[in-house]
Formats: sequence, C-alpha cells, structure tokens
Amino acid sequence: MLYRQRTLDLPHGDVETPILLPVRNVGKRSSDNTPEYVGTIPDLPTAMINARSIYQRAPMWERLQEGVTLREEMEVPEDTIVFADSGGLDFDPTGPDITPAEMLSIQRHLDADIYGTIDIPLSRENWVEENHRRVRQNIEYAIQTSEKHREDDASLLFASVHGYDPETVRNNIQHLEQRGDFDGYALGSLSLIRTDYKKTTRLILAARRATDKHLHVYGLGGITYLPLLLYLGVDSFDSSAFIRNAGNRNYLLPGFGGKELHNIDHLDYLPCPCPVCGTRTLDEIRVDRNLLVRHNLWSMVTELRRFRYIAASDKDVEAYLDLRFQDNEVTQRAYRAAKQQVRRLV
Amino acid sequence: MTQHGFTISDQKRDYSRFGLEENPFPYSPVPDDEPDIYCGQEHVTEAVSDTVSTVLSTGKSKHLVVTGKYGNGKSHTLKYTRSLLRDREDVVVGYVAQPGTGFLDIYHEFMADLGFDYVQQVAYELLADVARNETEYNPIGSAAIKSLIDEGEILLSELVPPAIKRLSETAKFADFARAVVHLVYEDTNLYAWQWLTAEGIRYEQRKELEIHSALDDDTMAVRAFTSMKNLLIELGYDAVFVFIDEFESIARLSTKDEQTTLNSLRHLMDQNNSGLCLLFGCAPEVWQDVMSEYHAFSERIGREVALQPLTAEQVYELVEQYLNPVRNSGKQGIAPFTKETLEFVLQQSQGNIRQVLAICSRILDAALRQEQKTIGVAVAEDVIESV
Repeated sequence: MLYRQRTLDLPHGDVETPILLPVRNVGKRSSDNTPEYVGTIPDLPTAMINARSIYQRAPMWERLQEGVTLREEMEVPEDTIVFADSGGLDFDPTGPDITPAEMLSIQRHLDADIYGTIDIPLSRENWVEENHRRVRQNIEYAIQTSEKHREDDASLLFASVHGYDPETVRNNIQHLEQRGDFDGYALGSLSLIRTDYKKTTRLILAARRATDKHLHVYGLGGITYLPLLLYLGVDSFDSSAFIRNAGNRNYLLPGFGGKELHNIDHLDYLPCPCPVCGTRTLDEIRVDRNLLVRHNLWSMVTELRRFRYIAASDKDVEAYLDLRFQDNEVTQRAYRAAKQQVRRLV
Repeated sequence: MTQHGFTISDQKRDYSRFGLEENPFPYSPVPDDEPDIYCGQEHVTEAVSDTVSTVLSTGKSKHLVVTGKYGNGKSHTLKYTRSLLRDREDVVVGYVAQPGTGFLDIYHEFMADLGFDYVQQVAYELLADVARNETEYNPIGSAAIKSLIDEGEILLSELVPPAIKRLSETAKFADFARAVVHLVYEDTNLYAWQWLTAEGIRYEQRKELEIHSALDDDTMAVRAFTSMKNLLIELGYDAVFVFIDEFESIARLSTKDEQTTLNSLRHLMDQNNSGLCLLFGCAPEVWQDVMSEYHAFSERIGREVALQPLTAEQVYELVEQYLNPVRNSGKQGIAPFTKETLEFVLQQSQGNIRQVLAICSRILDAALRQEQKTIGVAVAEDVIESV
C-alpha cells in the first residue's frame, strides 16, 4: 500500500494530507452557489477554484482588484486553503488565451495557497499528433511558470502533467524535475478515462513512483475513486462529484456509491448520521438540492475519515478495501488490478 | 536401479579409455541452434559464402536454394550460416523452420525468431535516430535513448510523432509505423507485438493503437516484411537475411495455396531488390517441381547448390571434428575409430551425415561396453546388426 500522511505548510495554514479539495464554481455562470461547508466540516478547510473563470468574470475580478479578497467573495474564513488551477478544461484546445506569467499573476492576486500550471487536457482521440502536441505544450507552460515563480512566494507550485500511458507520465515528471522547480505534480486528463480503472490506476502509479513530491489528481475524487486514490498514495484530489450527483438527485453513501432518490420510496430515518441527514427526513433532503450537496460532501469526507481510521488503527487496509469493493464487480476488479500493480505483479 | 529387466542408471560413463571426456556424437542427430562444427562440402560453402558476401558488399539482394536429401545437412548448413551472421552487428537474421501454409506464416516465424526484445530494441533505435535529428542529444543505440527518456532528458512526446511520420514515409505503411512505436509503451506493447507478428488482435485493441488494418493475409505480410526491412536498412543495417528451412513442405499445400505462397515470395523479392537475402533449404525433388512449374518464382532465385552424400575423406574429417573438442589425450585424427570402421559406416549410411553421426554414436558406446580400446569393424557390424 502506498497510502501516506504528510503535512503541507501553506500560506494560510498547515493541512494534513491526504486531503480532498471540493471544487467551487466561483466565477462560473452561476457564480459560487456551492453550499457552505468550510467551518461546518472541520477537516475540510479547502477549496479548488478555477482561476481563469474568476479572471474572466469582470465584475468579480474588478471587486478583487479593488481590494475584496477571494475568501470574502467566497464567504469563507481567511484561513481557507485554496488551490487555484488554470481552468484547463475551458481552454480552446488549440491554445490558452492567457500566458503562464499572466496566470501566475492572477493566482498570486487570488492569494491562492497552491498554483496549478496552465494545461490543456488531452483528448481521447488523436493519440499521435494532437495529444503529443498538447503534452509538449503543457510541459513548456509548466517550465515557463516555474521560471516566473518567485522564491519569496510561499505558495506551492504544482506542475500539471498529462499522459495516457505510464511512460509519458514518468517521462514528463522526470523532465520537469530536471528543468523546473516544483513543489508537486498534478495529474490531469484522467476524468475522460475514469471508467477505465486499470489504465487510470496505472497512470497514477506511474506518477507516484516517478516522484516523492506531493501528488495531486485533478477531477477524480468521487466516492468510488476516493479509497483507490488513497491506496495508491495520492496526496490530494479535487472533485465536484458531490455537486454533480446532487444535480442528478443521487444520494451518496460510503460503500454504496450513489442511489437516485426517486428509487427510494419512504424512510423514516436516513442511513447517514451526518449533520444534514441526522435530523431530517428523506422528503426534506429530496426537495432541497443544497442539503443533498452538503450531505454528499459529508459522505465523501466520511469515506476519507474511515480510511484514515483504518490506517491509524493499524488495521489491514487491503482487507478493508476488499470489503469496501465486494458488492460492485467493476470497482472490485479495479481494486484487484490496483492491488496487483501496487505489488508490482503486473 | 534394476527391475523387471530394466536397468536405469544416471552413472556417468567413462570414455577415458578412448582419451575422450564424453561421447561427442548426438544420439538423435538434429542440428543445434548454434552449431559449432561445420564439415562442409566446398561447393556449398563457396555458394553460401558468395551469396552472403555479395549481399554484404554490394547491398543488392541475392537469394540461394540449398538442396539435399533428408539428413544431408540442409538445416545444419542454414543454422551454421545463421550463427556466423548473428555475430555481426550490421545484419539482421531470421530463421523460419518451415514455411507453414503461406507467406503470412513465414513472416510470423521470421518476426517471432527476431523476438520481442530485439524488435523493441529496434523501436528504441528508431527513437534514438529521431532524437539525433530533433534534439541536441546524440544517443547511440537503444540503451542510450532509453536512459535519456527514463531520466527525463528528452521528452517522449518530442520523439514519437516525428518517429511515426518518418517511419510511415520510409515504410509506406502507417499502421506498421504505429505498431513499432507502440512497442515502447508498456500498456500497449503486447498488442503491438501481436499485430506485428500477425497473431491477430481485436478491433478495440487495434483502435487503441490507432491501427486501421488487420495483418492477416499474405499481401499484408509482404507489405509488413518490406516495411521491417526498410526500417532496418534505414537504421544502418546492411542487410536482412531470412533462412527458410524445409521449403519442400510447400508441396503439401493445395495447388492454389502453393501458387499463392510462391507468388508472395516473388513479390517480396521484386519489392526488395536491395538489402535482402533469402536462403532456402529444400528437398531436391520439390525444387525440381518448383523450377519446372513456377518459373516466375524460381527464376528470381539466383542459384541452387546441392548437398551431396559424404565421401570417405569427408567422413574422416567430420568424425575428427566431432572428436577433437572432447579429447583429453592430445591425440589427433579419427582414433579410436579406424579407417576401415568409418568406411563401413560410410557404406551403411550411404554418406548421409545424420546416419553417420547416429551410427558413430552407437558404435562408440558399444565399444565402451565391450571394453575395446580401438573401434574395429566388428563392433560396427554388431551395432548395425542389432538395429
């Protein structure tokens, strides 16, 4: 097992890893309608934001220029830990509309604790030409960002790395180790291949074995993947699964994944003791999307807490995961494949 | 261990009474993969040497058929020549034990004989070549480029697209180019290898490699072989040698399949007028038929050379060559055999090398059991009578 615990020393405080960074949609069309969770979920003082969206939302950006802080804008405490990624998924695939230096300047202005370098995610097609071009481009952006990242900037810089094969991931990280100065690496483009568990775990393992530095995985922290990521030694991950699932009226529960609420007839008491469900009825949750979002986030945190408990109490993590995945054939296969890979059997 | 008349023992036999460390003759004379001994017939060694040397010195393709009855040394000749060429770093040699049911099988056997590791090494050599052109680095060989990639000095993404483009231009076969380059990726290299060896892969696997065609008929196999040869020549190898043994087995094919196989080989020769040497081992009667019925193919083979039954002198030489490496007495020549004994062996074997070796092997053991010091004709006669 590659699970590990570390402490990240960041400008806005220390954070114990592994850690989930809930994706906030601040700056997006609906601005930030993520329900309040910082402060209410004590082990989640974290947020993942899209720096480009905020920069492009003129009124918000103007307020930030005039002295309003990002955390005020998000209505979270000033000690909230913020990871600002470049918003790569929104870029035109031919190239971003912003330079690495500009992006760094925006991230710095947002007072983010962690900066992710500009990246263009890979497509599932065009393996040879286009994806290799994007891989090279992302490396170039990362190196340019590293050159601009001042030594007196206490925020961490994570290089965004993309690749659909272990060699490319390893090769990219080794290349960046030689040519840049990064505090960690953030592995991207996995959400497009998330259903290919075997490939995804191989890529994460390739990254994990290529560096001992912090490893973040972009956009892959759903309730099913979460234990796998921890098992594979991922230090942090971001996810919007709690929002997306709530949008589909999916009620997340550790060990059971998601269940659409319209498939549940009636329950006097919900199966989850979280602060959202503990005092409410199923019908109350059913009609309030915000409640469902918050519950879903609690579910993900519960999953994370359970894993930490297993590891801290010196229990057999693999036995726990065997149990965890036993009811779902797909994830069970994925975990078995991951276990073999971790043990270098394949 | 003795039981019901059987006596089974692993006790080592002591051949020191003959001044030998062991019985050097094979009990079942099949050619070694890497033969040390070649007791050749001068006209055969000359013909093989001439063919191989011409290809190496001129770069032009040249082909040869070695004919001879079963047991006269065709396989041994091909394998011995292969072992000589394998020591050279500037050529590539593939051995095809028999032609199977068509050129697709020949191609499959050729690639399988080269082996995954070797062809993967060729893929890295291609990347090294590209790296020399596209980057400031000057990697020579597969280990150097692999190390540069592993250490992150060179980006794989800088090399792969130009490598595929260049190989596609050289090979005129984009799918082949993609398969070769995929050999460096651990996730896909087995699929790529399966495609390259014409073992067949599923559509989804092909899609993952971005390969559009199936390599499943003679025409595609000729194309893939030519691509492989062109790649090797481009990488600086002087020639590709293909040794096709037991060519007579094409006579067992249907007329149509036989014609198709020979046509494919003809196309292969036509498409590769440089850098290719095909060496066939074939029974003479089948070769006669091919000569008379398939002119288009046989005319493209430059020469035929026939292995003849051994003469007495050649038998002496053969036996001496087998005995010398295991002698511990400093003796030379054919001892403990006598000339008379070997002449008897020659007569019994009718000059067939396989027979000569098998009989010598049995005679030596019989003489040991009879506690002889020299092996006279009487021992040989006993052995022949007992068979």
